[in-house]
Amino acid sequence: MAETALREILGSFVVLAGAFFLFSAGLGVLRMPDAFTRIQAGTKATTLGNLLVMLGVGILHPDWALKLLLVAGFVLITNPVSSHALARAGHFIGIPMAPSTGADALRDDENAKAEKAKAEKAGAENGADRAGDGA
Amino acid sequence: MSDNTKSTLKDLTSFGSPVLFVFLIATWCIINDSLAPVLLIVGAILSLVITRLFSAGSSWTAELWRSVRLSPAMLRHFLAYLGVFIVELVRANITMLGYVYARRIDIRPGVVRVGTRLSSPVGRLALANSVALTPGSLVLAREGDTLYIHWLDVKTTDPDETARLIVGPFEKHLEAAFG
Repeated sequence: MAETALREILGSFVVLAGAFFLFSAGLGVLRMPDAFTRIQAGTKATTLGNLLVMLGVGILHPDWALKLLLVAGFVLITNPVSSHALARAGHFIGIPMAPSTGADALRDDENAKAEKAKAEKAGAENGADRAGDGA
Repeated sequence: MSDNTKSTLKDLTSFGSPVLFVFLIATWCIINDSLAPVLLIVGAILSLVITRLFSAGSSWTAELWRSVRLSPAMLRHFLAYLGVFIVELVRANITMLGYVYARRIDIRPGVVRVGTRLSSPVGRLALANSVALTPGSLVLAREGDTLYIHWLDVKTTDPDETARLIVGPFEKHLEAAFG
């Protein structure tokens, strides 16, 4: 009897800790300066929050442990993938970054690639003979 | 027999990846919460079909599953990686709590390049996913063996130093587990 009570208290506290991380994730999404930093706040804290809630429920209902493990694995795989897809799409369509942002190596490389493609296209249009020299 | 006919024959009779099959049937049993013979038979048939579809032949998923090889050493490194990962996940969250509850959010985000030694697709996937869950970093894109990472608080733009800080903890074990 005492053991059940102890388990319930422990499980409830772990679920509460998970809820705290989920709350922090929400607060982070509100407070962060731009889309990318918001995605970051949303991804990390929700993953740990979710895992803690799963762990807490597992302590409350040990017979669900395997199913909860499966759910936790699913969250661990899909959460980063979705955040990556959102961030990639956001960067691709040029969502602005916070003013405090320093270097953006991806933008630099993409610009360099676009410049090169443009130069090559221009070269092909007005200088077919030059391309012949290269070959 | 020529190599060509040999490989065609092998494709026809190939079972696919045993790793995928075991994974599927284990998932099936856990979801059903039962080991009843009827369920096991249905699960085995379904798993066989899916395994055959996705990991036999020469599609890219087949290549991907073929690159995963189970061995005691691989499992050991994978478990070690999970341990490192959980420690890093907790650390990332504590850092994140620090930012979120700070009076003023004082960060310098940016996108940096990081090279990786990992060559297998599964290894790179695991690395990219781990990076997304660890201290202030998120993979934006990949070109060859270069990852573009959005870093919440850029500390350095030196490639070696960023690699050590961001992918360093995971790379060793993932390299041993997946190559």
